[in-house]
Amino acid sequence: MQRRLPALLLVLPALTVILFLFVLPLALSVAGAFETETGFGLDNFVKSFALYSSDMIFTLMIVGLSTCMIGLVSIAIGGYLTLGENPRAVAILRWLYRWPLFIPFIVVGQVLRTFLAKNGLMNNILVGAGLITPLQAISFLDWRGIVIAFVWKQTPFVTLLLAGAMASVDRGTIEAARNLGASRARILVEILVPQVARTLMVGLVLSFVTMMSVLSVPLMINAQSPTMLTADIAFRINAYGDYGVANALGLISLAATACVAWFYLRQSMRDRG
Amino acid sequence: MRNLLSATLALGLASTPVAAAELTVITAGDQNMVDYINEYLGPLFEEQNPGHTVRAVGTGPGDAGSQKIVERFEAQKQAGSETWDTDVAVAHEKFIGPMIEGGYLAAYRDNIATGKLVTRANADMALGARVSGYVMPMFNSQTALAYNPALVPTPPKSYAELAAWVTENPKQFGYNGIKGGASGVSFVMGWIYAFGEGDADKLMNGPFEEAETQKWDAAFDSLKAFTRNATLTPGNAGTLDLLSRGEIAIGPVWVDMFYSWQANGQLPPEFKLVLPAPGMPGQPMHYVIPEKAANKELAEKFVALATSPKVQAEGIVKRFNWYPGIDAQHVQAELDADTWNKLFTDVTPEDLASYGKPFPIAPYNTAILEAYEAKAAN
Repeated sequence: MQRRLPALLLVLPALTVILFLFVLPLALSVAGAFETETGFGLDNFVKSFALYSSDMIFTLMIVGLSTCMIGLVSIAIGGYLTLGENPRAVAILRWLYRWPLFIPFIVVGQVLRTFLAKNGLMNNILVGAGLITPLQAISFLDWRGIVIAFVWKQTPFVTLLLAGAMASVDRGTIEAARNLGASRARILVEILVPQVARTLMVGLVLSFVTMMSVLSVPLMINAQSPTMLTADIAFRINAYGDYGVANALGLISLAATACVAWFYLRQSMRDRG
Repeated sequence: MRNLLSATLALGLASTPVAAAELTVITAGDQNMVDYINEYLGPLFEEQNPGHTVRAVGTGPGDAGSQKIVERFEAQKQAGSETWDTDVAVAHEKFIGPMIEGGYLAAYRDNIATGKLVTRANADMALGARVSGYVMPMFNSQTALAYNPALVPTPPKSYAELAAWVTENPKQFGYNGIKGGASGVSFVMGWIYAFGEGDADKLMNGPFEEAETQKWDAAFDSLKAFTRNATLTPGNAGTLDLLSRGEIAIGPVWVDMFYSWQANGQLPPEFKLVLPAPGMPGQPMHYVIPEKAANKELAEKFVALATSPKVQAEGIVKRFNWYPGIDAQHVQAELDADTWNKLFTDVTPEDLASYGKPFPIAPYNTAILEAYEAKAAN
């Protein structure tokens, strides 16, 4: 008992901070989701589903698609960093791929807004290169723009984790496979990826959660209908001062991220057991 | 939850010491509002009142900015602060009613000399709430359709003509929906004025009747079909961006933003404006003074300066391309004919008088936005 008291005192400041700045607001916002003008009820959720059910599906599809693409691209980059045979190409790639890590989401949104527009930089280059005609140019400022922004911004983060894990994989397994004549692609898919699957999963789950909470990118690129839940939450508060429905929407997106987290936890428990 | 958050916020604010002669002006709206105070009005006031300083704080664009001001006042009221951290606030008219209802504001218009220079109806009623005495309009703003004459030689003169034009020219009209800024909101309100089966005057002047909100179904159905042929833009500035890049040919914009962009060279000089029948909404921004402002007398002096004919002419009309807040004849006398005419080149004073509408009163406003989400956007 006497040993425990100082220990408790030591964690107390951190615990208080977490309680007051995280747990309490979370509890209040959960309670707020059920608060209606006539007491507690499900009105806010009824309204959320009536108005924003297409946005919920849209959000999950976008974030889901982005997560898959991030997974694929980062496996490709990580794989080349580990298995690539041209040291100069590897060095350049290693230097380049981290850049987007240091760029905030809002800047990504701003940059892509002019880059992906119908008469934006990308289409101008394609037209200039004679690849498309001006009439074929289309604007990417819709769901595709959001996916591009997410993949561009989150891939380096997952790759960083993944490349580290791949580097620490026992080289012997790779050499053995190569000696037996396996191609590099096959080594990547059958030897490397299975051994780093857990790290990949952590990276993807963290990316999913991050992307669910990004407001700036949908606001900058596509705040129309359908749009992402974060834009709807901001709109409920800004236009109507309606915290009830905003909280309900927040809780719904929390449920989505909780599903992913649960899946991840179950997987890691199974791996351990 | 809001109460607790507000209380925490207020606690933080209340503990900040108030400097004796620092006038704090908080303003909603785009960066140009903060620029106006920092670059023009603040220095002018400091020059006329040596020793005092003006501090401008922006709370962000659109309704969100004004909502933040309301919450800030609410927080200080609930915390029981004796002196508030704000001396003058600039807010959208939709939020003035709630501020007066909450008892946050001082009735000061009769205390200042320029109070008599305002007779326009929207300085007495703000979206159905009686505000006379509590506000001085900083400026009046108006939405209109901006178009590229190279692509649209004869612009549509009414909503009905526009609807027909859009079916012939799909994706050439762009607006920003209702979630990306007030120019799109304004366009939607104008659509309901034009095609709603109810009485548009009732939407603007009240009273609020639930039955009225059931009369918009056909209008929203046609708006949904219309929007399918339109391009959705990301925000007020987004519409202007797309116009300048030639991606759309016509779209609703704020008149002041249009002129400012043109003056900066961000829009080609040949672009023009048209205000379609039966009209599109505009709105004033209002100066208000909190009842418990720390420097109330100084605040009144500040607003009196800001609404004096000279400042309205030089600052509001000439530099920032807004329509004056006080009655136009007092301002016109201070300006040369060229500057004055520039403001009314495309949209004439007659157009403004017949087609410049107020926004619907607050409950209809909210009902239309929700109906848009449920019926036109889903």
